[in-house]
Amino acid sequence: MADLQEAKIVGTPALDGRYISEMDMWPLECQEFNRLYQFYDNLREGRFTTTKCKKCGHIAFPPGVICPRCWSEELEWVDLTQRAKVVTFTETQAGAPLGFPPPLILAWLNFGKDSPIKHLLVRIINCAEGELKEGDEVKLVVFEVPAHPIEVKRETKVCNRVYYAFEPVKSASM
Amino acid sequence: MAKKTNAVIVGGGVSKFGVRQAQIFDLFQEAAKACSDDIPALKPTDVDGLIVCTTMAGRHSSALNTAPLVAHRLGLKPTSICIRLDTLCAGSNSGIIVAKGLVESGIAEVVMVTGAEKVFMPQRWETNYTQLAVNDHDWDSAMGLGVPPPFFAMIAKMHMKRYGTTKEQMAHVSVANYNYGSTNPKAHFYPKTLSMEEALSARLIAEPFGLFDCCSLSDGGSAVIIASEERAEDLSDRPLVYIRGTGQHATHSMSAGWPGETLAEWPHLKRAAEVAYKNAQVSPKDIDVAQTHDCFSISEIVEVEELGFCKKGEGGAYVASGAINIDGERPINTDGGLLSHGHPFGASGARQSFELCKQLQGRAVNQVKGAKFALAHNLSGTCAQHTVVIYGTEPVE
Ligand SMILES: [Zn+2]
Repeated sequence: MADLQEAKIVGTPALDGRYISEMDMWPLECQEFNRLYQFYDNLREGRFTTTKCKKCGHIAFPPGVICPRCWSEELEWVDLTQRAKVVTFTETQAGAPLGFPPPLILAWLNFGKDSPIKHLLVRIINCAEGELKEGDEVKLVVFEVPAHPIEVKRETKVCNRVYYAFEPVKSASM
Repeated sequence: MAKKTNAVIVGGGVSKFGVRQAQIFDLFQEAAKACSDDIPALKPTDVDGLIVCTTMAGRHSSALNTAPLVAHRLGLKPTSICIRLDTLCAGSNSGIIVAKGLVESGIAEVVMVTGAEKVFMPQRWETNYTQLAVNDHDWDSAMGLGVPPPFFAMIAKMHMKRYGTTKEQMAHVSVANYNYGSTNPKAHFYPKTLSMEEALSARLIAEPFGLFDCCSLSDGGSAVIIASEERAEDLSDRPLVYIRGTGQHATHSMSAGWPGETLAEWPHLKRAAEVAYKNAQVSPKDIDVAQTHDCFSISEIVEVEELGFCKKGEGGAYVASGAINIDGERPINTDGGLLSHGHPFGASGARQSFELCKQLQGRAVNQVKGAKFALAHNLSGTCAQHTVVIYGTEPVE
């Protein structure tokens, strides 16, 4: 086996440090690559939204470009509730993927009987290990995630991105 | 007019599972070799169809159009079908469902269903990072849902809360399956045995799971031969094992679509099983031996409930009663299951079905005496899809 110390060329220099979307942990959110870009634009405005069917009234999550109940394309964006209760949760001890530093807290949320989304599995941030309890109320939090380049004709454009998680309501005032 | 033929499982083979010094085509070749050792009369020219089941081959092995590459490596020149199939953890049992349809319709006569994964990469981080691509990437994975233990830990916590299931009951699953696997040299953790004390004092993975509650990812491959009963009789003198009925039910892709009242109820498994039982014309009480998807100890507990082996909520007591042991009413995971074998996603289904084939032919290592009906089950994704295959020593009338 070759000695890494003595190797002249290591890795994949052909890529020359390029961005590889296949290895990206975040979605491609921009309009050029995703018809659901509005979801992320709404997040930037602090709105948690999804698509509602104008034909049958079904509210789907995740959003889409057709209604999964009646296959209509006539959809509109509607706001979802931004608060939910923790049903159960785990604090990952080991083995979390790169990019999710410990404590990686995952929670199963209940959005209440009036919400079209009953449950969602989410990441809880702004919360110390051992702090979260079953029954706690959490709320939506939006944050920036790394941008990525796209080629537009001969130019390289930068797509800024956001994503969302939830945080304990009691830490909201910080 | 040609009479309807029945599809049977003739035999099969598995590679050594584990952290393997091998690339994916090595594993496909090892599985095929084991399969040919099991069916000595089988020649490459007998196989007219090939179904290649793998999830990681695109990402981890840069082998996107996998089926023709595997055909070449195995010396097969399929004339009826040569496809890749990916249903993650249910890959090769999905392939067996497809093969049954092809054989019984007359499109194919002798189909190899093979699955393999090369999970472990030169650097360990890559394996866990790739898990972000096997869940619903833009939604659940971006929340950090990668490797499965956190999700199944929530299932366990909820089952404990709603039904009073205990860590001791979960440990009964780990102990049974590790001890079955201690007789199986192909298992990742062979020849390890496990005691209750060791299971309960293992290091914590994710509360309430200790090390032995969680199956390991593994590299490995498996292969089975599905054929018409006429061709099966040419290939082997062993008793015929019929694929009596199958069911596969997918309800959602991401956590927002979970179909149960809570995570402790799996109505989608119940439904998949109902479809399979109906097609197979059997009921849960008829099943003599089963291979259920024990990715975690709690999984087997929920599965015995939803498969109808006991009442809902009594899975913990059922496994602790010894029912799943070799002298129990319905031995489960008699080759060691996922807990002892490890889990190369696309390879696990055919590994399970090969064990059931041996059980119904009376030649398993941990043989269930007089077994007539057997059931294989996989869950896949974030417990989003369930796959059930039922075998029997007689065809459906
Ligand atoms: Zn609609």
